[in-house]
Amino acid sequence: MKHLIILAVTILCALPARAGVDDVLERHILPGLSRFAQAAERLDAAARADCRAAALREPFHAAFDAWLPVGDIRLGPSEQAALSIAFWPDPKGHGRRVLDRMIAGQDPVVHDPTAYATVSIAGRGLFALELLLFDPALSDHGADDFACALVRAVAGDLRAQAAGLETAWRVEFAPLLRNAGAPDNPVYLDEAEALRAIYTQILSSLEFTADQRIGRPLGSLDRPRSGRAEAWRSGRSLRNVLIATRGAHALATALADGPLPDSYAALARVEEAASRIVDPAFQDITDPQAWLRLEILQQRVRDLRAAIEAGIGSRLGLSAGFNSQDGD
Amino acid sequence: MTTRRGFIAALAAAAMAPRMGWAAVGNPAYLAAARDPDGTFALYGIDPAGETTFRVGLPARAHAGAAHPARAEAVVFARRPGLFALVLDCRTGAVLHRLSPPDGNHFNGHGCFAGSGDLLFTSEQLADTSEGRIGIWDVRAGYRRVGELRSGGIGPHEIRLMPDGGALIVANGGIATDPQDRRKLNIATMRPNLTCLNLTGELLDQVELPAELWKNSIRHLAVRPDGLVGFAMQWEGDPAEVPPLLGLYRRGSAPRLLEAPLAEALAMQGYAGSVAFSGDGREIAISSPKGGRVHRFAEEGDFQGAVRRMDVCGLAPREDGFLASDGLGGLIAIVQGRSEPLARQDCAWDNHVVVL
Repeated sequence: MKHLIILAVTILCALPARAGVDDVLERHILPGLSRFAQAAERLDAAARADCRAAALREPFHAAFDAWLPVGDIRLGPSEQAALSIAFWPDPKGHGRRVLDRMIAGQDPVVHDPTAYATVSIAGRGLFALELLLFDPALSDHGADDFACALVRAVAGDLRAQAAGLETAWRVEFAPLLRNAGAPDNPVYLDEAEALRAIYTQILSSLEFTADQRIGRPLGSLDRPRSGRAEAWRSGRSLRNVLIATRGAHALATALADGPLPDSYAALARVEEAASRIVDPAFQDITDPQAWLRLEILQQRVRDLRAAIEAGIGSRLGLSAGFNSQDGD
Repeated sequence: MTTRRGFIAALAAAAMAPRMGWAAVGNPAYLAAARDPDGTFALYGIDPAGETTFRVGLPARAHAGAAHPARAEAVVFARRPGLFALVLDCRTGAVLHRLSPPDGNHFNGHGCFAGSGDLLFTSEQLADTSEGRIGIWDVRAGYRRVGELRSGGIGPHEIRLMPDGGALIVANGGIATDPQDRRKLNIATMRPNLTCLNLTGELLDQVELPAELWKNSIRHLAVRPDGLVGFAMQWEGDPAEVPPLLGLYRRGSAPRLLEAPLAEALAMQGYAGSVAFSGDGREIAISSPKGGRVHRFAEEGDFQGAVRRMDVCGLAPREDGFLASDGLGGLIAIVQGRSEPLARQDCAWDNHVVVL
């Protein structure tokens, strides 16, 4: 990994220092959404061929991997889509309840590929699929079972969501970001606002990873909550932390108008702390040593956030929201 | 007590003064505090088209204010824990009076005039216990402190005069805070309420939310001329839960909670920063600077949609819709559910827009 980072630094330093919204769109967001749409399409195709859990775990992981680099972006069409693609955290188990109800009632909605979009967001997307593919009580379905049809419906809906999201970005939202300040632009009144919107996403993604992806299971040393880890059923908790963190960092480098050496070093320290985690699903944190290793990872993610804030926030004259950071 | 009651009753009965003073400062329709690009703070007058009509410098960041109903005079409250409020002459920028809470009290950022502008009420809490108080100030005597009422709860935030002029509605947020750093001390046991008091402090009505919503701090208020109260909340519980952030209340009835569809509700991030009725009173809206959006609801309670805008917080009635302000200097008209940028000032608008 370290070599990859050094390679990345070298490549980036060689690029002309053209920065900003175009780079973010062309180098990160649009290709990322396109990769996710392709991965969701492959998952859907696999589900149509064989909807049993064993056949779908690999394409599920590939789709989740493709989602995370762009999954924490909550701008424009992603704001709502991110919730129905990745409904987490779900402390009250809404997703489980929605699926149980559909299975109990053999809900005919699963046979209508477009109608599934009307199902509660808790019963859609990657986390619904995770339950159906990894939960012992839900994943043991045969090809003729209702749950198998449900898997197909969720996968088909995910493919449609991913395609729709990519199109919405390319057709509607990317032009709004690019034409910030144009007289007919009701969303971004000047270019600095568009930059700030993206910058805010980077910081809030890293906050979400530190406070939620890591913080929720961490709880406190005397009361760790391993059941709250993100995607623990599929053993992806650590993988999600890493891919999301790398994604936020990639977004930052695309946004920056020059190299960000401190943030590369901070990312390397995140990777190093992650390499010490033993259980990728964070289920070992009842052991104080494991808990401390996870807490160190959380601190490293926060350090990366601070490095990015110092590296680009000040350079672009951006600070966090005047009102959103105040609160009263 | 009898003396004070008689005194307040006499003032409240005083005839409505003609509203002429504000003409001298360009007839602003709104007041809002802001941070200017050089880092200093100011109070602005804003007209319905989003143009600023006056600017008065402030010594520190403000939270909300109250406009005198007749004279071009505004009271601006410091952010919590507030140790001062300034009475400003909006024509000259002169500080007419500097108000300090009594020893052991803090201002909580909001206040309102009553009695045709002869009385000022201020939201306060005892520094030690966060027990709520409403300060009473005699405006004609040069904003002299003449007494205080119990607010009916812990940590009151916004207070408003009811349309009949004879009652106050108080959002007792329920949060006890550290007097030094406003750290929250009682989240596990907090219990907010909405309290209606007459101007002498008698309890007219008090309502609470169901126990599972006690971590939903009731903080901001909007009052419609027919007495319907909108109250906005801030969730202190698990951020993954999605409680309602807006309620409607009419004196003598149980509050009604308004909910957005799940995905929209999640996007508010458990935080409503301001609340306002639309200019025609048929809608009510809340803003979330954290979620970068305004949620509109019909008066009957149905969700009408979201308007997105980064760092949006200030909300006020405008024509048949709303005026919204944000931390990027934008003043946005919300017209039939669409946002129409009116103006962009080179400043960061603070949490609230006060209607004149």
